[in-house]
Amino acid sequence: MTLTSDGVTVVVLDERGQRPAVEPPIIALSNIVKSYKMGGVDVLATRGVSFTVAKGEFVAIMGASGSGKSTLMNIIGCLDIPTSGHYSLDGVNIRNLDDQALSRIRNMKIGFVFQGFNLIPRMSALQNVELPMAYAGIKPKERRERAIVALELVGLGQRLEHFSNELSGGQQQRVSIARAISTNPALILADEPTGNLDSKSSNELMGLFTDLHNHGRTIVMITHESDIAEYASRVVELRDGSIISDRLQSARVPSLSTSAGASSQDGDGSEV
Amino acid sequence: MSNMFGNLIMAVRGIGSNWLRTLLTMLGVLIGVASVIVLLAIGTGTSRSIENSIQSLGSNTLTVFSSGGSGTSSGTQIRNTNLNSASVSLISNPNNAPDVQSVSPVITTSVTATKQSSTYSTSVIGSTPSYLVASNYTVSAGRSISAADVTSHAQVIDIGASVASGLFVTGTDPLGQQIELGSARFTIVGLLASKGSTGLTNADAVVIAPYTAVQDQLTGESQSFSELLIQGKSASTLSLAQSEVESVLAAQNDTTVAALPFNVLNQASLISTATSSSKTFTALLGWVAAVSLLVGAIGVMNIMLVTVTERTREIGIRKAIGARKSVVLTQFLIESTVISFMGGVLGAIAGVVVSRFTIAGVKPVLASYSIPLALGVALSVGIVAGFYPAYRAASLRPIDALRYE
Repeated sequence: MTLTSDGVTVVVLDERGQRPAVEPPIIALSNIVKSYKMGGVDVLATRGVSFTVAKGEFVAIMGASGSGKSTLMNIIGCLDIPTSGHYSLDGVNIRNLDDQALSRIRNMKIGFVFQGFNLIPRMSALQNVELPMAYAGIKPKERRERAIVALELVGLGQRLEHFSNELSGGQQQRVSIARAISTNPALILADEPTGNLDSKSSNELMGLFTDLHNHGRTIVMITHESDIAEYASRVVELRDGSIISDRLQSARVPSLSTSAGASSQDGDGSEV
Repeated sequence: MSNMFGNLIMAVRGIGSNWLRTLLTMLGVLIGVASVIVLLAIGTGTSRSIENSIQSLGSNTLTVFSSGGSGTSSGTQIRNTNLNSASVSLISNPNNAPDVQSVSPVITTSVTATKQSSTYSTSVIGSTPSYLVASNYTVSAGRSISAADVTSHAQVIDIGASVASGLFVTGTDPLGQQIELGSARFTIVGLLASKGSTGLTNADAVVIAPYTAVQDQLTGESQSFSELLIQGKSASTLSLAQSEVESVLAAQNDTTVAALPFNVLNQASLISTATSSSKTFTALLGWVAAVSLLVGAIGVMNIMLVTVTERTREIGIRKAIGARKSVVLTQFLIESTVISFMGGVLGAIAGVVVSRFTIAGVKPVLASYSIPLALGVALSVGIVAGFYPAYRAASLRPIDALRYE
């Protein structure tokens, strides 16, 4: 089944392959429709969304509430299955997968950064970062080393043993970024990552995202704040379940970031 | 397997996050397990004490006693149906009753024994030396009453440990001393080793004397005995001995075995009756305890359901970052199992401790099977009661679970 699915993905690639795409896109959405039953009436959350995200892109998906961006985020995050349409993530067709397989895909391919941080209480920063690697079956010694590296990368090398309730919002969100990158996923998926943060922490966090982007990470970020979307190299805007604009932009340089002092004047993201 | 260990650590941490609640949940299992152990111990203790008191009647014995008056059950008038010396000599004859070891005539009466200012109420058994053997009395000092004593109507006695301690100050040697039984004076020639209290009767509150002397001094001359204590040759031939004795007595009294106005108490059948009734009693107690364990199980299930609801968001996070259904299932199952197993272990300890005390006059005896049984049940309670909540947790869709506030 997976083989056939891969075949489908390859076909999609070939159709779009007039340009010399060396690598397959990380995300290929084609005609994604998601409908919900609400009081006996079918409500369309997305009405045939299609777009691709190439490796190394930093895409912001914008839209007001009700625009379908959360639905899209759930589908991209393999937390939900589209009613119709094709979705392939890093070459794997997501249709026809059961709960077990979806868990595995989420574990291997996606690093989540949620609005509410979503760290597990009663577990230290280190344990939180280790958790997805534990689910992936990585040996304790290796996952501890990798977790330490990830936490040092987000600037929390001094707070490995702190519990989540002992950390500020900005620090918690950095722990969740460390957790997201620890498995070395194909995609970092951030859902309103600055939604619960003050502007200073928000800017620091976006500096971190910019850094990750500069290191070649593929990031998709859902947001409704246009100033946050400015950090991305590409902005996809949704309204009423459809894409109304899809534009490249030169990403904003984080003003308060300490770590992103080096220029992130963006060249790689504008390849399309 | 490090994963399993990690799960265990995680479960313990989860449990530790709400100590009071966990403790109360454990208490349910603890009380259940403890009551299983204690109640089974009481059941076992009761049946042990019943067995002991039957055992104290002697070993392999038949007791023949008059069922009162002349038997008219079959409509036939029977005269002179007594247990007398003739009965004793007939049964003693090996040709008549080959499976009988010994026959002891017994006359019982109650007296107040007096030594100077000390008095003690005791039963007096008038019999022959074979009585001591048949009813498992051993002489710890001095000598047993003898056949010569019986023949010579000697006023000599063997006294039980309770009588000795009731009449004599510790340190004084009762041997050779004289005491009054009622108004008659008897000389102590032997002390009986303690048989211990059997819970129902005190086998040590006894004075044994030659029956001839008892008839002379206490009960008055009579043709009949209160009962006959007959010792069989072995446990397996006790029923055989019983029918021989019954035939002899029937022949002596010119009647049939069925019409015989005597009751024959067969110790072996007494034990088996008592054992089966005490088994029923123990099983009943076991069921009562099982009900309380069931209540504990419901408590565990209830609390696990609450825990799952409370931690819906956490489950959502775990599933979002890649926890498979089986991992979540295992995590919550381990949690419920750890709770109830800890409750089980504490309950077993509590049960063992409580079983050391005498409860309602019964000395509980720990049933060897009760601890593994109770722990096994506690473990299965954890798994069974935890399964549904754990399954519910594992089946949550991450998208719903993450949205849960």
